[in-house]
Amino acid sequence: MPMNEVVAHAERALAVFFGIIVFFVAAIALKNDWKARGVENQVFKMMLALLALGAILAILAAFNLLAGKGVEV
Amino acid sequence: MAVASVTQAGIIGGHHAEPDQLYVETRELRVQGFLLFMVSDLVLFSSFIFAYLYLRSSGQGWPPPGAPKLDLALAAINSVVLFGSGATMHFALENWKHEKFMKFAGWIVATICLGALFLSGQIIEYAKLAVGWGTSGIFGTAFFTLTGMHGFHVFCGIIYLTILLLQCVHGKYTFQKYTGLTLGTLYWHFVDVIWVVLFSIFYLL
Amino acid sequence: MAVAAVHSGGIADHIHPEPQGFIRRYVFSLDHKIIGIQYIITSGIFLFLAGALAEMMRVQLMKANGGFMTPDTFNQVFTMHGSTMVWFMIIPLMTGGFGNLVMPIQIGARDVAFPWLNMIAFWIFPVAGLMLYASFLMGAPAAGWTEYPPMSLQGQAGTSMWCAAVFLVGVGSTMTGINFLVTILKMRAPGMTFTRMPLFVWGQFVTAPLLMIATTALGAALAALFIQREFGVPFFDPTKGGSPLLWQHMFWFYSHPAVYIMILPAFGILSEVIPTFARKPIFGYKMIAFSSCAIAILGFMVWAHHMFTSGMAPALQLPFMVLTMLIAIPTGVKIFSWTTTLFGGVLKFSTAMLYAVGFIALFTIGGVTGVFLAAVPFDLHAHGTYFIVAHFHYVIAGGSVMGALAGLYFWYPKMTGRLMDERLGKWSFWLYMIGMNGTFLPMHWLGLWGMPRRIAVYDPQFQTWNQIESAFSFVMTASIILTVINALVSMKYGKRSGPNPWGARTLEWMIPSPMPYYNFKHIPSVFSTPYDFGEPLPYRGLEEELTPTPPPVAAAH
Repeated sequence: MPMNEVVAHAERALAVFFGIIVFFVAAIALKNDWKARGVENQVFKMMLALLALGAILAILAAFNLLAGKGVEV
Repeated sequence: MAVASVTQAGIIGGHHAEPDQLYVETRELRVQGFLLFMVSDLVLFSSFIFAYLYLRSSGQGWPPPGAPKLDLALAAINSVVLFGSGATMHFALENWKHEKFMKFAGWIVATICLGALFLSGQIIEYAKLAVGWGTSGIFGTAFFTLTGMHGFHVFCGIIYLTILLLQCVHGKYTFQKYTGLTLGTLYWHFVDVIWVVLFSIFYLL
Repeated sequence: MAVAAVHSGGIADHIHPEPQGFIRRYVFSLDHKIIGIQYIITSGIFLFLAGALAEMMRVQLMKANGGFMTPDTFNQVFTMHGSTMVWFMIIPLMTGGFGNLVMPIQIGARDVAFPWLNMIAFWIFPVAGLMLYASFLMGAPAAGWTEYPPMSLQGQAGTSMWCAAVFLVGVGSTMTGINFLVTILKMRAPGMTFTRMPLFVWGQFVTAPLLMIATTALGAALAALFIQREFGVPFFDPTKGGSPLLWQHMFWFYSHPAVYIMILPAFGILSEVIPTFARKPIFGYKMIAFSSCAIAILGFMVWAHHMFTSGMAPALQLPFMVLTMLIAIPTGVKIFSWTTTLFGGVLKFSTAMLYAVGFIALFTIGGVTGVFLAAVPFDLHAHGTYFIVAHFHYVIAGGSVMGALAGLYFWYPKMTGRLMDERLGKWSFWLYMIGMNGTFLPMHWLGLWGMPRRIAVYDPQFQTWNQIESAFSFVMTASIILTVINALVSMKYGKRSGPNPWGARTLEWMIPSPMPYYNFKHIPSVFSTPYDFGEPLPYRGLEEELTPTPPPVAAAH
């Protein structure tokens, strides 16, 4: 396999592996802080949720399940 | 006078059980002000995101003729690096709240390193694309402007976190009073969230 | 000492020692009142500059064919006139000026939430103004204050300087918006719920998010224009995939809320002046407050009514037309509320009241022509003509500026401890009414007859009316000069005012004139709106404010 394909496979594998870890870290943090009150804590919760979403999107992208028009698959 | 002595008691953290009201009120103001600053920063990004979506939908289609293709694999791992730095920042703040200074320091250094790694990934990506900002039609207009603005925000965030770390080492924050750390965490998560949007609209749309 | 216990140890209890030295007290001051006065004076300087540019235009336009300016110079003059008036005069005056001067006291606070940010925001303002006027040295921008591409992409190196200067002044505005929003949300005196706030504070409260959000959107547009001009990035160049219409969308998304930034504080000033000089509670307090919110929100949804002739998708015309007409409703609610407040009141026509009543008349005219323009078929005919110039000068010069003048005559005693001369004031008011109407009323029919705007030479059939307008413009200028002379001379020779010369009821009138640096010796409690003339004052804890007892200054720490 040419080098850049090897690199791409490695990148995707790492993205999936660490993406799963990040997803669970964010989801568990969100669950633990669910009851926190106050404006800045609501903002934190929203951002943790979006972080979890971002991890999912990155994983799906790594599997080529989500790929845009301008992208080299 | 009674007023002055109550104030002094609050600052000295004296024998009264009442919370330090000056600190509490000042913290409220600073957090609110910082959240509003983040709203205005969001408006800044939203304006350029609107410009990209408008240009993309009203002309030559996407990708525009002659534009390079984006590397999805690189972007995927780079995104996970940045999201990972959000996780490490979360751990840093948690450890501070639990008064574990060394662990806090470790996690914040990890955050800074991951942030720097993300920026390196961006630079590699820019180099691979090998086109100019103003010479690649609306591709460069949208992609480099938005990711460049975001990268600048990450860069400022790295500096901000480094300063926070040094301030913590010098004892500026206590385990009870750490507004600056909270604001830094908010900012870092904000930068992460913006990337979720940018990743989606450039790589997944 | 029940009041002290409520606040013990908090921000409200902190009276710092008075700053010493000329620089700390008057140049780099952290005191919102001094900063407010600095904004007012600096805006006055820009009013003078922009007014001089206006008179240059009016002199040019006295002759249909060949005044003393080349068309290119004329273009630079009207561009700088508009840019200065909008961003360097009326917005800083209304928000940084009157907002800083009065709002924190009216909510019973000692200062704004972030005094350092306030000071930095102020100093950005004259620096940005210097940058803007430096553009004259390199070819000032010449495509109108709206700087549409492709014209704004061509020549005129000063256009890039304009981008930078307006961006910078916008940064200051955004800081002010954040500062005021946090101040009003978090620093109101005990008992001051939102429905007990003075209406001037409501005006600043709804304007602050506009400053924060809309100005940043303008910043993005300006940055994009600058990047295109300097780095060739084709946001607005259709030959490279960009779009000139993109600029219009980005620019007007900000600039429409900007006009509400210009008028909502003036509405707030009216709501203070009118009940005071009618000695009657304001009619419809809640409706005025909520209509301000409605105007601020709707203001974000109507920007494309500036673009009916731009070639944008025709399907967008109807929704924007309808939403624009909808804004007339909350605005009308206010006009009716003020008029009803006057009815049955014991009216005292001080200069401030004259300007306020003049505002109601002239702003209504401007508002009505606005409804005409909201109708697409009418706008297709009137767009780009003097009818538009007439409309916005009626709402700004007949609205915002008159509100600002009312505020000046009203709050001058709080700034200086003296009253402005009432006779000179009345002269200035009538000169303003005659001058302003004489200048801008004929523009309505000139526009409908077909005279385009932004032109240095025009069809001779319009010359007579242009000469009439120019003559009246000098009357208007004389009025402003008279007001400025009045303000300067009264600082030394004006009659001493005492704390409350007008018998008003908001908190700034409960403290001495000029206002002490600490605002209140003791933060009061509030238990009603301040408009119930005839009832006792709705405050507790103000007994010591007007006595000579010293303020309880906290020990330095």
